[in-house]
Amino acid sequence: MGSDFYQLSILPFAGIIIKICRAYTNSQEDFEDYYQEVCLQIWRSKDNFNQESEWSTWIYRISLNVCLTYLKRRKTGDKEIVSDTLPEEAVDDSKAFASDEINELYSAIKHLSETDRAVILLYLEEKTYEEIADIIGSNSNNIGVRIKRIKDRLNKLINQRD
Amino acid sequence: MTKSIETMWKTGFVNETNLTAPKVNDLYNRKSQNIVDKLQNMFAINIKAILGGSVIMLIMMSLIGAPFLGLYILCLLIPLMVIAKKELEKSVNLSKGQSSYDYIMSFDKWLKDSIETYARYYKIFYPMFFLGMAIQGVVSNAGGKLIALLVEVLPTDIFIFGQPYYLIAAIVILTLVFARYAEALYHLDLNIVYGRQFKKLDELITDMEELRK
Repeated sequence: MGSDFYQLSILPFAGIIIKICRAYTNSQEDFEDYYQEVCLQIWRSKDNFNQESEWSTWIYRISLNVCLTYLKRRKTGDKEIVSDTLPEEAVDDSKAFASDEINELYSAIKHLSETDRAVILLYLEEKTYEEIADIIGSNSNNIGVRIKRIKDRLNKLINQRD
Repeated sequence: MTKSIETMWKTGFVNETNLTAPKVNDLYNRKSQNIVDKLQNMFAINIKAILGGSVIMLIMMSLIGAPFLGLYILCLLIPLMVIAKKELEKSVNLSKGQSSYDYIMSFDKWLKDSIETYARYYKIFYPMFFLGMAIQGVVSNAGGKLIALLVEVLPTDIFIFGQPYYLIAAIVILTLVFARYAEALYHLDLNIVYGRQFKKLDELITDMEELRK
């Protein structure tokens, strides 16, 4: 990868990638692996970017698609298998961010399904229902209902911890 | 009053120092962990391995006096190489810049089609491979001696193609067993490696389809 591409086209959007990758990982090592994988895939997919959407939307899409289909390395003998569950102790990853509130929110987000994590992250990033529907590939009419349900669940999870 | 999650998100990230990108190590040469890329690599390796393996088999079989078996195995492996090449070409169209639903669906379709194509061929490959090896064993010198010993232990008057009927029956039965269970064996092996990923995909699709209703 040309380092110019990373510096100019990825690094200014690193915040988006970090926020998404944190929601799908439960350790610093996993997080760094996911981050690098997203960067790699953004670079590999750059020629498919058709400029119909914004570059940041493209980054959201690739970040989510990579996180949804990443092979988490869990070694069993010589075979690499994937894990779709978070170990219980990893859900309380409380030092990922400096802000306790953010850590608390992420801990709750990690209890959601993978699709719900994507929806709420995009909502919190102030994407409109139409934009969320476009990135996820869903019906915008249902997004509002789903967000309401997710927020109720998150509030319940956060209040349980307090 | 408890803060809303929107406020927590907004205020929490204002002074967030941990939004600095982690150090990127040798990104250009990084080996991808994405399942599509891993399967693409597997197909690419398959093509080379089958080609190399076929040639080695042909040479080895010729050296041990069984060139026809070598050619036979080569003929069995060529379709596998063609399948791997076709699946590799199809996977190139899986753009990660699509919407998550489209990406997951196109990936799932490609994966299922690919598995089905391979499974169909393995149903033929395994029994035919066994049959070829069995026939070579029967017609070889060592095999002939073993069969003569077998007939002494289990004498019979019924011979088919010059061989005792029970030997032919055993070969036929085993060939049918291979044909019957080849697909199941292939699926079992895939499930050991990718079972959780398949389950996760199914769950994702169900969840996303609910959002589209």
